[in-house]
Amino acid sequence: MPTRVLVVEDDGLIRLDLADTLSEAGYDVVEAANADQALAILQQRSDINMLLTDIDMPGSMNGIQLAALTAERWPDCAIVVISGRYTPVKGVLPSGARFIAKPVSEKLLHSVLSQIPELS
Amino acid sequence: MNQTTHMQLTNPDCGRLFRNHDWSATPLGAVETWPVELRTLTSVMMGSLQPMLLVWGPSQTTIYNDGYAAMCGSRHPAAFAGTFRSLWHDIWDQVEPIIDAAFEGRGTAMDDIEFIMHRNGYPEEAHFAFSYTPVRDPWGAVLGMFCACNEITSQVAARRAERTQRERFRQVFELSPGGIAMLMGSNHVFDYANEEYHSIIGRGREIIGKPVADALSEVVRQGIINLLDDVYRSGEPLVAKDRRIDLNRGPDGEKQSRRIDFVYQPMKDDAGNVAGILVQARDVTELRADEERRDLLSHELGHRLKNQLAMVQAIASQTLRSAPDLVTARRRLSERIGVLSDAHDVILEGGRGASTVLQLVQQMTAVHDDPSNPRIRIAGPNLKIGSRPSLSLSLILHELATNAMKYGALSSAEGTVKLQWRVGGETGDRFELTWAEAGGPRVDPSASPGSGTRLITAGLNGTLDGRVELVYHESGLLCRVTCDLETFQKEH
Repeated sequence: MPTRVLVVEDDGLIRLDLADTLSEAGYDVVEAANADQALAILQQRSDINMLLTDIDMPGSMNGIQLAALTAERWPDCAIVVISGRYTPVKGVLPSGARFIAKPVSEKLLHSVLSQIPELS
Repeated sequence: MNQTTHMQLTNPDCGRLFRNHDWSATPLGAVETWPVELRTLTSVMMGSLQPMLLVWGPSQTTIYNDGYAAMCGSRHPAAFAGTFRSLWHDIWDQVEPIIDAAFEGRGTAMDDIEFIMHRNGYPEEAHFAFSYTPVRDPWGAVLGMFCACNEITSQVAARRAERTQRERFRQVFELSPGGIAMLMGSNHVFDYANEEYHSIIGRGREIIGKPVADALSEVVRQGIINLLDDVYRSGEPLVAKDRRIDLNRGPDGEKQSRRIDFVYQPMKDDAGNVAGILVQARDVTELRADEERRDLLSHELGHRLKNQLAMVQAIASQTLRSAPDLVTARRRLSERIGVLSDAHDVILEGGRGASTVLQLVQQMTAVHDDPSNPRIRIAGPNLKIGSRPSLSLSLILHELATNAMKYGALSSAEGTVKLQWRVGGETGDRFELTWAEAGGPRVDPSASPGSGTRLITAGLNGTLDGRVELVYHESGLLCRVTCDLETFQKEH
């Protein structure tokens, strides 16, 4: 069964591109435009293996809060956080979560995803 | 006592003149004939280190010691045993009244009398502290005048130099761009404060002569007195940067929070003891706020640049994915980046948060429409748009126009586009834009969407609850873009 990734990014172009890149690499992609939408998806379905989320997004929650909530409620779900604005210091992200700075290079994305034990 | 030895020790010069003088040839007569008063005072004078002078008898014969001789300059020794008037002829108009008063029985004491004297052959200012005392015989008749005095010319000059220096310092202090105040004593009494210091603490406050704790009572609770006490006690200066201090400096004495750089410098007296504190202060409230705004702005710009690079990356990658060949990809990519660049100009021209939907629409029509035969009809309110959505709206409009020229209404001579935008939603909280094509070739809804279509459906960047609908009516394409109005207009 292919790994299912939930991509959370308010910028539609970047989300589109991330989704294409991941699909091409063999992942199953579900998209959300903000943390509230992402949370609704996580609650609806139990087959999300990984969360790939931006930090700065409109809505009631930002990506860091979403990551924390995901780690707490869906501990098996791997977490990757991306941002162009912040570089989270140690302790801000849940343990085990990865961080990638924007703009996200395809090479770096693949290299980070390949290191996640839950996905192999 | 051996009077001669005594004179030689304390007044060698005048002592010798006194002994060698032929007094019998003077109006005073031989020394043996002198009254006891004259002999006693002469002895006192020649035994004293303090400058002293005797003016005796109606002849006003003048006798003095070495100390006084120094004050006579080059007139000594010729003046010894001469008349008082011949000694001070150049200032006689000032001396005469007081010597006359002494002979009339009235003494005079002055702390500082100023003379212009020619005792060294040139005019010079001289200052003396002295007393003229009448000397009487047992029956009360005035025999002469005894004067003990000190030349204080050098002290006066030093005092004046000090005053001049202080005055000069004050002038420098007044012109200083920083606040300067001088506090004296262990309870830090304001001795001086320049204009700028007054402006920092609040104009019109009476502080001179008051201790800091009374003059600026609001700083007591803020620990300022403790800091002053420490400096006064330790003699060590204190440098404070960007300290927040509440001062009752408003027009009605209301409290204002300021950020102040200051230095407390102990001022020491000649003995090395701390006598006061020199305060130098600079109100850096506005300066620091400016710096923080600048830092925030440059951080903001960096962040925006990263976002834009991410957007360019996504556009490039999408363009390359969907283009049939490299030539097409290159052309499309350069057009799309050109659109972003133009949209960026609007953001920069209008300043932050000042671009409007109309400006972006006009940029698109300038490229894709013909002013002599306009085919895109536009209508909509003057609506502000945030910088993030403005980049995506420009791109959407560009892709819609490009597609219309290639396959849609603008590809035939009769086709038109109606582009409208408004504030919608039940509570007026949505932005709505419609692009309606008509009169073009028949649309084939089953045709696969091009890469432009994907970019259109990516929606408005940075907005909440955005939706893009593309409906292929038989009459032409209808595109509807909607999103939350607040995030559409917000600056990120």
